[in-house]
Amino acid sequence: MRQVHESDVVIIGGGITAAMVAEKLGELHPDWSVVVIEAGNRLFDDENRFEYRRRALDYGENVWPGDYIDDQGGTGIVSRTMAVGGSALHWGGVCNRFSEEDLRLQSLYGLAVDWPLEWTELERYYCEAERRLGVSGEPGPLPEDRRSEPYPMPPMPMTHNLIQLQAWAERTGIPFWTTPQAKNTVEGYGGRSICRRCNTCEICPTGARYSPDYTFKQLLARPTFALHDQTLVRRLVLDERTTRIAAARAVRQDGSGREIEYRAPRFVLAAGYCWSAHLLLLSATSRFPNGLANSSDHVGRYMTGHLAYQTTIDLDLEIYPGMNDQHSLISRQFFRCRPDQPFVRHDLRIWENAGGRGPELRDEAGMVLLGDALVERWRARTTRGTARVRGYFDTHPDRDSRLTLDAASKNRWGDPLPAIRHAADAGTRAREAATRAHLEGLFAKLAATHDGRMGRVGGLSYQDHPAGGCRMGTDPATSVTDSVGRTHDHDNLFVVGGPTLPTGGCTNSTLTFVALTLRTAEAI
Amino acid sequence: MLPRRTVLKSLALPVFARPLTGLRRSSQGARVELSAADLATLTAIAEVVLPSALGVDGRDLAVQQFAGWVRAYREGADMGHGYGASTLRRPSGPSPAARYPAQLAALDAAARAGGAPRFAALPMDARRRIIEQVLNEPRVARLPGQPTGANLVADFMGLYYASPEAWDLAYQRRIGRDRCRSLEGSGERPPRTEGVG
Repeated sequence: MRQVHESDVVIIGGGITAAMVAEKLGELHPDWSVVVIEAGNRLFDDENRFEYRRRALDYGENVWPGDYIDDQGGTGIVSRTMAVGGSALHWGGVCNRFSEEDLRLQSLYGLAVDWPLEWTELERYYCEAERRLGVSGEPGPLPEDRRSEPYPMPPMPMTHNLIQLQAWAERTGIPFWTTPQAKNTVEGYGGRSICRRCNTCEICPTGARYSPDYTFKQLLARPTFALHDQTLVRRLVLDERTTRIAAARAVRQDGSGREIEYRAPRFVLAAGYCWSAHLLLLSATSRFPNGLANSSDHVGRYMTGHLAYQTTIDLDLEIYPGMNDQHSLISRQFFRCRPDQPFVRHDLRIWENAGGRGPELRDEAGMVLLGDALVERWRARTTRGTARVRGYFDTHPDRDSRLTLDAASKNRWGDPLPAIRHAADAGTRAREAATRAHLEGLFAKLAATHDGRMGRVGGLSYQDHPAGGCRMGTDPATSVTDSVGRTHDHDNLFVVGGPTLPTGGCTNSTLTFVALTLRTAEAI
Repeated sequence: MLPRRTVLKSLALPVFARPLTGLRRSSQGARVELSAADLATLTAIAEVVLPSALGVDGRDLAVQQFAGWVRAYREGADMGHGYGASTLRRPSGPSPAARYPAQLAALDAAARAGGAPRFAALPMDARRRIIEQVLNEPRVARLPGQPTGANLVADFMGLYYASPEAWDLAYQRRIGRDRCRSLEGSGERPPRTEGVG
């Protein structure tokens, strides 16, 4: 017998956007009952995080033990993290903003599509996202990056290494500053501790880096909030007479196999770029044979993200690897591209790096080095330093950059799993050689300023920071949701965060996912 | 000096050549522990492969840390997945230390071939030659990031030289890599190490 759970809002997914929309709905509508349904576990064990970190460092073990479901994977770039907190359990906390150009690619350059909202409005939600996540940062020097509010916390202090690297990199005339991060630089912001440079942001043992489990733990103190983990939503159910969503059908993943039907007047799909589109496709009915919210045949299309080129540069600089590996410099100078120039947009990041600085067992002749001889030779290589340099560049998705259901691969419940095949559009592919040449030229320019020796330039073989699959737009024929994430086909079904992005920008996307989510929360 | 062929032949001895000092399975299932004899051999290795600046205490600490690593190794541990990765890693395999008894026995056998009762009883030069041969036949190209069991000497060296202490020793600065540290003073050079190196 199926259990029924009724609430005012059902949020499907337990990651960062679910946390943000739940928190804001709780403030806007304190009398609403809200349930968050997450397929994976809740890992609310702060007390174990130093031990998880230690075992990850010493043995390479999972930093978040049990944060996945064995049979809930997919083909292509499908993050295996499935737990309360989602991928933001693991993230590095980088909180870069997109730029106005991201929203106006068609208007400015005749490329991809424009986003259906104004930059000034998005910027307001960026500020809110930064407050809620607790971002430390410094404003950049470029006037195009003006902000309407200061960062909530002062920037992460530059290490000696970053100070050296900034002085080196700015000899090119390109300005660099520190990357904003959702990490505490003051004690107590959001109830979190100050960063202690543990170098393991994938699991922050002190709690300085924002993680959604903190928000969920606070929400659980409210009587109107419920978190149902280990509960996999398998289908959204359409109302028999209207196009509204009536229920979400789920099954407990705790071994009981118990079925639960969640009924509510409002549904929020916060399951990320993969599982949001996947659930809509799984929920096909006779009235929506291609999947819910998919009368446009755009669910699962325009899967996006960005590619990158990167290298290391050996420098005549005094760098001490490990001072704060995860902190970096950024330049947003190339977020802008003059319309009369060949199109290329990218960020530019620099990190300290230990590459080429570690101990070596053999000398140039291949002879074994032991004891003092090993250390002596190691010391000789510590007199120079290494920088890692990377540029994420604008990579626009093709219509057939797509998530589909893979009938050949099913979970324990018999549901087909997702298969994602990313594909850049024709314009991006045509620019590929020029984009690479541009970034290689920049890397070489950086290297040349200080007796640098550039390593091999490599490109990402996958699209990082994936998004899309339920893109927003004004035209229901070419998009899945409107600008606030409301699906065109079902007025009580909202999609939040990454899936709604029409294009993936050229820098880390999490802050944008959150900003859009907070905007959606006001429209629900 | 030991004839090279004798050493290599000795190193090929089977696991059961060291019945009294082999690894013991702990009461915690797959976990294993190094015996006192194993630790003595490791100490003799440490005197050759670790920097002299560590002194006796530093070398002993490195041996104890290696033994601790072996003791706390978990077979079948969740190795998870990388951030954003699409595939799960396989659970951890059997302890690398399961492959050490044969190697420890081979070191002692090599010592006996040279007229010493055990590896630890050899003079430093003789131990060095054996260790070099162990690292050359088969050739170990680089230090492993963590012990694999393939080569005890390389595993021991790899664990020490990847440690924050080793990096500090090489840089002669208290960087404290992979240690949690205050943000204060991070804009300055790390302070110099004192008394070592």
